[in-house]
Amino acid sequence: MKISSLIVTLFLTASTVLYAGEKVVVYNWAEYIPEGALEAFTKETGIEVEYSTFDNNETMYSKLKLQKGKGYDIVVPSTYLVSKMRDEGLLHEIDHSKLKNLSNLSISLMNKEYDPGNKYSIPYLWGSTGIAVNSKEIDPASITAWADLWDPKWEGKLLLVDDVREAFHMALKKNGFSTNSTNPDEIKTAYEDLQKLMPNVRVFNADAPREPYLAGDVNLGMIWSGEAKMAQDENPDIKYIFPKEGAGFWIDSFAIPSGAENLENAHKFIDYMMSAEVAKQTVEELGYSTPNGEARDLVNEETRHNPVIFPPAEVIDKGEFQKDVGDAMQLYNEYWEKLKAGK
Amino acid sequence: MMKVFKWSFVVAIFAWLYLPIAILVVNSFNVSKYGYEWQGFTLKWYEKLFHNEQLMQAFLNSLLIAALAATFATVLGTLMALAIHRYRFPMKAAASGMLFVVMMSPDIVLAITFLVIFIALGVELGFWSLLIAHITFCLPFVVITVYAQLKGFDRYLLEAAQDLGAGESRIFRLIILPLVFPAIIAGWLLSFTLSLDDVIISSFVTGPGFEILPIRVFSMVKVGVSPEVNVLAALLLSISLLLVTFSTLLLRRKY
Amino acid sequence: MPPQVKNLIKPLFSFRRGVIFLTLFWLGLFVLVPHVLVLVTSVLTPDPQHLAVWPVTLDSWARLFDPLYVEVFWHSLWLSAVTTVICLLLGYPFAWILAKLPGVWRGVLLFLMIVPFWTNSLIRTYAIKLILGNKGLVNTLLVGAGITDKPVELLYTPFAVIFGLVYVLLPFMVLPLVSSFDKLDRNLIEAAHDLGAGWWQRFRHIILPLTMPGVVAGCLIVFLPAMGMFYVADLLGGAKNLLLGNIIKNQFLVVRDWPFGAAFSVALIGIMAALMWLYFLANQRINRQGGLDDEGI
Repeated sequence: MKISSLIVTLFLTASTVLYAGEKVVVYNWAEYIPEGALEAFTKETGIEVEYSTFDNNETMYSKLKLQKGKGYDIVVPSTYLVSKMRDEGLLHEIDHSKLKNLSNLSISLMNKEYDPGNKYSIPYLWGSTGIAVNSKEIDPASITAWADLWDPKWEGKLLLVDDVREAFHMALKKNGFSTNSTNPDEIKTAYEDLQKLMPNVRVFNADAPREPYLAGDVNLGMIWSGEAKMAQDENPDIKYIFPKEGAGFWIDSFAIPSGAENLENAHKFIDYMMSAEVAKQTVEELGYSTPNGEARDLVNEETRHNPVIFPPAEVIDKGEFQKDVGDAMQLYNEYWEKLKAGK
Repeated sequence: MMKVFKWSFVVAIFAWLYLPIAILVVNSFNVSKYGYEWQGFTLKWYEKLFHNEQLMQAFLNSLLIAALAATFATVLGTLMALAIHRYRFPMKAAASGMLFVVMMSPDIVLAITFLVIFIALGVELGFWSLLIAHITFCLPFVVITVYAQLKGFDRYLLEAAQDLGAGESRIFRLIILPLVFPAIIAGWLLSFTLSLDDVIISSFVTGPGFEILPIRVFSMVKVGVSPEVNVLAALLLSISLLLVTFSTLLLRRKY
Repeated sequence: MPPQVKNLIKPLFSFRRGVIFLTLFWLGLFVLVPHVLVLVTSVLTPDPQHLAVWPVTLDSWARLFDPLYVEVFWHSLWLSAVTTVICLLLGYPFAWILAKLPGVWRGVLLFLMIVPFWTNSLIRTYAIKLILGNKGLVNTLLVGAGITDKPVELLYTPFAVIFGLVYVLLPFMVLPLVSSFDKLDRNLIEAAHDLGAGWWQRFRHIILPLTMPGVVAGCLIVFLPAMGMFYVADLLGGAKNLLLGNIIKNQFLVVRDWPFGAAFSVALIGIMAALMWLYFLANQRINRQGGLDDEGI
């Protein structure tokens, strides 16, 4: 890390000099990979990793869409984008024969509706959206369901995640509908229910839901499992609850864009990340859940018995994974805008 | 009495501006990751940062882009302010209109339009595309600042110079430039600040080879923004303060 | 080179021409062309797979007249206006004091003013949350001093949003103002003083008109960007209100209705341009001083 190296990079990027060695270009969240894993991968395979970051799925999608799938060798989209990108021809089929570690992944998270046979995506990390409670202020046993958030006694007290689909997930589930509903009547019912919830909201949070809980500004509301884990590391009073109507689930998967230039290396990278040892490191460091069954046996006691990271099977069965809802998104957003505008 | 009031006002403003930064600096030494309470003194975040090559590289890249973009935008913007103020040319109204469009366009619109134009022109995404985009969105801030300054001064001075036979570039160099210099500095500082903090436009127009700090920091929210970023804030602050002290001492000696 | 040729070439490659060419080239290529594309996109038909397709339609434009969006527009306008006024009220005296300092100190203080803004805005906003939160600095002090017995709700209120916006935008007001105070002729003020003009008269008739270009410049570069800003409001205000910036970003990224997003942003620019045009027109009528331009801008 010297100024001279900076100037060299400057000229390299400037003059499109192609890097002579083998490389793989990864487009992912920052630090969403265990420390030292990239260096270890390079050491093992001789392939350099160019690690580029995005700050939301949508930016990544728009960029790939406009560049017609070029520019990156690995991207890490969430479930709902996998089906959309595949349908639009933005993804390259993954050659399973090149992934010797594929058998490490647990069956329950494979072959889901959004990508049958996992032809276009390999699960990397996953998590859920549930309820957070500060047990010092509120008895966690009194909160068991999404419906509990509607109680008028929480007026001006709740945190909701600032995301259309996540907010509608609660209301849809509360009414017994699917989170991926495209039925206008069901969506309308959910909207009317959410209208009743609005007076209870103190804050919508889009960047780091753990924060208002830790700061003591809210004591009840939605949270992502990974955020809950981070919050607990700082303040063990914050409890995570899987609502009985069903939590929301998401998977971040590795996928190869259709314009990838280093196909072989991309496969090697995915395979490396699926090895039990790396997956173990990933879970322990990042606090999200892994689909890697082998890694589960390797992780430390504390992590293995943490239901936030490894939820019981019945919880997973009740939950639902987000899919792209196509044209219905327009409707969801219209209602969302109305809710935000107080209508 | 007036004096006391005046200075307490200035001190209050500075205290207000520096309070959040002071919190960040304190938290860069805090054991606690999220800094809600003081859990003890540590240097581990400093150590972590110095081993985090990607983050350091992004930080340096950001400084480089901000310095270059601010400099080019200031040069270009000053010339544009001059053209709009002094010259008559076709499409002049459209040109000034375009500057306002840049300022009013939401970031996301600028981001997408820049990306589309770079793809159409075949500019590879990375250093150059980032630089061009940053120069462009900084331009109106320079033009407006410099223009306001140009507007205030004496046209007779310029006419006199013209009558004495000075060419345009000489008038610019010898008369206009010194007169608008404070505004040029202001424009540079504004551009540098804007460029250093842009996320949305940058995340669209940069490529895999060139990461900058704001994108990395915003992207860290997925796993929690690391206190290493507080360390960067503390470092940047100390460097700036050193720079100020140093240059003040130097200037003082000269006077 | 023979002098005749030189004379022929000279007007072609003069400084003036160079500057004009550069201006038109840069703005044309990187601003005009892309924004013409935005305009075209705004009349296309939305399509979830291909973003925007033929045929031409005015549907997106018709949807703009939804009263919801009108409300959002007023709310954004109000927020930006309040922010601009507070920035001006704080920034004007501040710039005045700074401008009167001897050269070195003025430079130093101006530089020091901008330094906090080189820190990433996300973590700076986190720090502001630590100040305003229920267990934050302000409330700890208030409760500790016995002024209130329980924390005052500051965070996630309109107050927090304005607080954050003024914080972020203050230097943008101060910088152009300071340079406009530079030009103030001290003799003129002293002369007015000698002639018996009071403090208010001197301010109203000499200082204010002379610094007016700076005020206009400062207000423009605070007000216009504030209209599209939503990040500060989301983080500090708890995202409970929609702003124009939210809507446009959502249309482009989440809903992916590009024609509507484009129509929205073109309309925004159009309305703001019209408002500014009216302002300058009125300004020219009232006094010839102080507009940004007699023509053009």
